[in-house]
Amino acid sequence: MKSDQLILNNPQSSPADLAKSKKKKMNAKMMAYYLMVIPAALLFFAFHTFPAIQGIYYSFTNWNGINLDYDFVGFKNYINLFKDTAVRDSYLFTFKFAIFAGVLVNIISLAVAIGLNAKIKGRNFFRAVYFLPNILSVLIVGFIFNFVFTSIIPNLGEKYQIEFLTENILGNANLAWIGILIVFIWQSCAFNVILYLSGLQTVPTELYEASGLDGANRWQQFWKITFPVIAPFFTINMVLAMKNALMVFDQIVAMTGGGPGTVTTSISYLIYTGGLAGGEFAFQSANGVIYFIVIVAISVFQLKVLQKREMDM
Amino acid sequence: MRERTNWPVTIFIALGSVAILIPLYISISIALKNPQELAESALSLPLNFHWENFTKAIEVTNFFNAFKNSSIITIFTLVFTLLTNSLVAYGIARNMHRKLFRNLYYYFVSALFIPFPIIMLPIVKQTSALGLNNTAGLILLYVVYGMAMNIFIYVGYIRSIPIELEEAAIVDGCSTWGVFWKVIFPLLTPINATVGILTCLWAWNDFLLPLVILSDSAAATLPLVQYVFQTEFGADYNLAFASYLMAMAPMVIVYLFAQKWIIGGVVKGAIK
Amino acid sequence: MKKTVSLLAASVLSISLLAGCGSGENAGGADNGKVKIEFFHYKREAMDTFDKLIEKFEKENPNIDIEQASPPDAGTVIKTRVSKGDLPDIISIGGDMGYNELSKAGVFTDLSKDKVLEKVQPAYIQMLKDITGQEKIYAVPFAANAVGVIYNKAIFNELGLEVPKTWDEFVALSETIQKAGKIPFYHTYKDAWTLLPSFNALAANTQGADFYEQLNKGEVLAGKRYKEAVEKMVVLSKYGHKNQQGVAYNDGNTAFANGESAMYLQGIWAIPEIKKANPDIELGVFPFPATNNPDEIKVISGVDLLYGLSAKSEHPKEAKKFIEFMLQDENAKQYIEEQNAFSALKGIAQDNPTVADLNVMMENGSVTDFPDHYIPTGVYPDKTLQTLVQDKDVDAALEKIQKDWEKVQSRK
Repeated sequence: MKSDQLILNNPQSSPADLAKSKKKKMNAKMMAYYLMVIPAALLFFAFHTFPAIQGIYYSFTNWNGINLDYDFVGFKNYINLFKDTAVRDSYLFTFKFAIFAGVLVNIISLAVAIGLNAKIKGRNFFRAVYFLPNILSVLIVGFIFNFVFTSIIPNLGEKYQIEFLTENILGNANLAWIGILIVFIWQSCAFNVILYLSGLQTVPTELYEASGLDGANRWQQFWKITFPVIAPFFTINMVLAMKNALMVFDQIVAMTGGGPGTVTTSISYLIYTGGLAGGEFAFQSANGVIYFIVIVAISVFQLKVLQKREMDM
Repeated sequence: MRERTNWPVTIFIALGSVAILIPLYISISIALKNPQELAESALSLPLNFHWENFTKAIEVTNFFNAFKNSSIITIFTLVFTLLTNSLVAYGIARNMHRKLFRNLYYYFVSALFIPFPIIMLPIVKQTSALGLNNTAGLILLYVVYGMAMNIFIYVGYIRSIPIELEEAAIVDGCSTWGVFWKVIFPLLTPINATVGILTCLWAWNDFLLPLVILSDSAAATLPLVQYVFQTEFGADYNLAFASYLMAMAPMVIVYLFAQKWIIGGVVKGAIK
Repeated sequence: MKKTVSLLAASVLSISLLAGCGSGENAGGADNGKVKIEFFHYKREAMDTFDKLIEKFEKENPNIDIEQASPPDAGTVIKTRVSKGDLPDIISIGGDMGYNELSKAGVFTDLSKDKVLEKVQPAYIQMLKDITGQEKIYAVPFAANAVGVIYNKAIFNELGLEVPKTWDEFVALSETIQKAGKIPFYHTYKDAWTLLPSFNALAANTQGADFYEQLNKGEVLAGKRYKEAVEKMVVLSKYGHKNQQGVAYNDGNTAFANGESAMYLQGIWAIPEIKKANPDIELGVFPFPATNNPDEIKVISGVDLLYGLSAKSEHPKEAKKFIEFMLQDENAKQYIEEQNAFSALKGIAQDNPTVADLNVMMENGSVTDFPDHYIPTGVYPDKTLQTLVQDKDVDAALEKIQKDWEKVQSRK
């Protein structure tokens, strides 16, 4: 583009020449930008959007995944979805789980973050410890806790005569979900703690001291100084925690297989087992579509509500 | 300035960290015992270190093969992701004023909300039809799927880089590509660290995608192998835990050395 | 720009190399002149036995390479592979719903006229026909299993107990054991599938002779006919142990092997696992006394392992050779001895004294197939049973099985 440079840099170039050169440069530049972005978009479409569309297509058929042919059945799968108790139960379980998980993860990680932000000894060491669970494989953590719940805790319960510990919580239809919740919280807090911590650290300590001198107590300091600053982090953490909780899968594979019965069968677990093993490929694809709509709706709702609160603060 | 340590909080934090470390201690303890010692007590300190659990686990699960697979997938995913996703994000970030690019941005980011199960079933058939139900296909999928989150992170960061730097480079005769590689990419180091770490963790620990995409059991990754061998382990928990520890070890070792860096990277990315 | 292009080229190259690496293991490919056959099966516990037999086969056939593949959840994996169009040469699963579905999907070669079937006992060939509802045979039955009641001979001797022949005797026996402070059955309810062996034994003997006939006509009678079986499952759940909801199959095998209970409700496939945990245990198996009419009780026995030949195999001749090899008397015998199974082939007896009590019935032909082989996928009777033994609600369980079954039927 040397010639264009000459034209552009030459104060004697005519306006027309200047314009043309500039346009050429712009086009070359735009070309580059297009080349940077379009291929990626195409790949993304091919491997993400297209399968999603296929999934939607299959949801209108009765294909079981392996037969050589299938029929178009319109909305039959969707109607059956609403009548199906297994689907309904999985949504109820997943929502219950997500709400508890979202709230608990946030409260616990905020508490830990505040603790880590205070003047404690060995802060860096503890910070490293709390983040450790995040780098471990979710599945393996599930296996480890499976053993803890199945063998270690009942043994401890027997030894020390603590009645309610003597049974495997994962085998109890009413309490199994708590087992999964505990493991989920154990691992998810790590990331949220770090996020909250980084938010807390943006608050200058002088603010606390000044307000302390003015007579504000701890609670007031928290609400008036800390909370407004971490409000955006609160939003993000809530959205992320709930989204992850709604997609809970690995722990269920490792610990309960969806049971006892079907009480800990999450939506994604049902789609996987029903769709691939259960021969309900098309039906579960419809389930997947509904699931997607639900997640988007919830996330958008959360963002709107929480961001409004942020603004109001 | 009060410098005195806040002991109550320290103790509270310390207790919490015990809750974190106990499962790991248990894993190590069980992996080093043999069945009788385990039957006596799971929590006591291992007295005899039964290293043979580890050697047996290596043999049974074909550890080094799975380790190789996980490494290949993670490293290639990391390299391609850092190179390509940042490039795409740059293209978008510098053109947010144009409708096409802005829409592409929303298009990529919206994928964060699409739960994997909805594409899981079709992608299984698709990768197979295209001959991609193998390691290469897995890497491709990680790079492509990563775009949703990474473009979100990169664009946020790139937009904070003053455009004067690029304009100076252009005046010096740099092409747009050159601007990216010579000016922008070096500046992306901190955010590359963030994206790199997140990508690494994801690719190494992921279970579901290898489970459904890979057909050949010889290509299994470390987490997948743990699942596959559950029945092999049977009731030999010492063997199982030895295997779990070895599977987690690589990431833990990296973490021990680089934790400050890793956490820092995550924090910076988060703030953006 | 140049840098980008070369970078791109390098990446494309490396991906294609990787693709080459990854798919180099594809079944049926011929490397260095040898024919590679993929033998896919669901019997992980038999992998060692197969290793030995494969070695023997490869010695006799140096130009054929057999590769075993036995992932967990093989039933699901094979279906996934079918939907991907990526089929192993030989597929060995049980004679269950999976076999039915795969046959209907055209996965197997039709073997109805094949000579190889002449070696198989007619009862098992009939089972395959019953499951698919077709006259065509798509696989060779090889091994049969059986469900009985595994019992610890030492404990029985200690308490002076005799093998029960009727349901009432069975319950009374369990009472006696419980009163003596021992555990009658080591239930492993955390693994839903372990409830199926006993359920099968009960249902097969109490569901009525025309159950399958009605089913073929489209009449689902589960809700009514399973009542006795479900009620008896509840009875059995009373004679377990404190942590029965929280214990899984593997732990159950170890516990029973260590003498923690007098009896164990599992199929004979569990015996090798039990012996691994305690080689010295003295055990036996008696027929499951499902009703009070001992003469009418049938032993549940199904096709535990069959050999299916993929319709899309690139090397059908070599694959066939391996199947014929496995069917040879001495090889079939080796398999059933090491795996504690019964042979589906004519003239091969299982001599192991542990299962002697069952042998009589097997030889009489008083066998019947697993009812759950006829329950369509998607009904999950094991999960319903898992809930049943916890809340003891018989009606709820029956209703659920009936409803789920109808729901799956109506989807077809």
